[in-house]
Amino acid sequence: MFITNKIFITSEMKTSDVLISNPYLVLVLEHLGINMEVREKTVEQICNENNVSTELFLIIANLYNGFKPSPISDYSFNDIQTIIKYLKSSHEYYLDEKYPLIQKYIEMINRINDHPEILMIGKFFDKYFKEVVEHLDYEDDVVFPYVLDLNDQLTRKNPEKSTINYSVTEYREHHDDIEEKLTDLNNLLIKYIPQKNDRQVRRKLLLCLFELEYDLKIHSQIEETILIPMVEKMEHLAGKRK
Amino acid sequence: MSKKIRNIIIVETSEIIYEGIFSILTNTGQPFDIHPADNLCDLENLNLRAESGIIFINPLLIQNQIKYFQTLKKELNSTHWIGIVYSFIDPQILAELDGIVNINDPRHKIIAAIQRILDADHPDGNQKQQQESLSDREIDVLKLLVTGNANKEIADKLNISTHTVISHRKNISQKTGIKSVSGLTIYAVVKNIISIDSYRE
Repeated sequence: MFITNKIFITSEMKTSDVLISNPYLVLVLEHLGINMEVREKTVEQICNENNVSTELFLIIANLYNGFKPSPISDYSFNDIQTIIKYLKSSHEYYLDEKYPLIQKYIEMINRINDHPEILMIGKFFDKYFKEVVEHLDYEDDVVFPYVLDLNDQLTRKNPEKSTINYSVTEYREHHDDIEEKLTDLNNLLIKYIPQKNDRQVRRKLLLCLFELEYDLKIHSQIEETILIPMVEKMEHLAGKRK
Repeated sequence: MSKKIRNIIIVETSEIIYEGIFSILTNTGQPFDIHPADNLCDLENLNLRAESGIIFINPLLIQNQIKYFQTLKKELNSTHWIGIVYSFIDPQILAELDGIVNINDPRHKIIAAIQRILDADHPDGNQKQQQESLSDREIDVLKLLVTGNANKEIADKLNISTHTVISHRKNISQKTGIKSVSGLTIYAVVKNIISIDSYRE
């Protein structure tokens, strides 16, 4: 994980100061659909303008600064929508931006460095990428619609009992570790794969992998410590749990 | 560095000193689990087990309860006690502790004091850190693993228990830093443990 200054972000801080202390928080804004032009506004003002709960924003932003989340005091329907929005947007960021970039870097190394191991790295990554796509598709197609459906049911937009036969327990079990192979890749590139004039591209690749790993770690923390407990509460309210 | 998580307790009433030690410890990159305590009684409430690692303590907190301290020390017999010294302390009390850290000590001295304790607990720790190459048996297991054998098959072929195979696999991953079978396959090719042709098949 990146070493940041570990500022514990609070609601009255200026959003711009927060961003300057850890520019990766720009991603949080992006994932929440908040415009980056924050001017002189505080965190709370920005959250209110964008209809994002300040409490939830602080939990996520502080995760990026290395602070473990405290449980959300009160469950709100709006929060669920915000979290899903955040997770969906980060899926897009991985699939459309991060993974293709990694793929490109590996191809570039492959062009300069003809060690057969580089080819293997390419294949390793392609296979891993397929697993990731599967995992993210599962969340987009099964988990998130289920959660939103449950949310509609509870907010009486659609008082009929949810027709989706699913439970978050299943998700918890399905939630496997997609960071593990990234760590493998880092280890292989740093310790074992022979170098050959590929220093610059390899550095770019490593930094890119590092960024992805950082974001993925936070992503799964949000799922495990915020989303899953919230949905468990929702299931309880909907009478699906005793 | 041993990757085992170590419990560290800081018995200190000053928050400034506590945060200072906390930050130095956190920046070592070691997986420490750090807890605060205000006095000796707190230590009992923390429900310590015998192997609880290192306790930093302000010796002033022992001064008037040396008997009580000695009983505690006996109970937690594998715990290391380091005094945080920032005023004159009776040498007799300091003699009760396993080491001291002076308030004016530079960071590297404090880290070295902890490292000495960690190394003493794991005399082979340093060697292990350097010795990353796999043992012959681990190479046997790796070869079979990356050529598509399941744990049970590896066990049968090498005439060892599945449990032993799992423990070899754990060591292999720890030494190489690679957990997945596909990642280990690449490692095996790089290290000439298997030929690239057998990978293609």
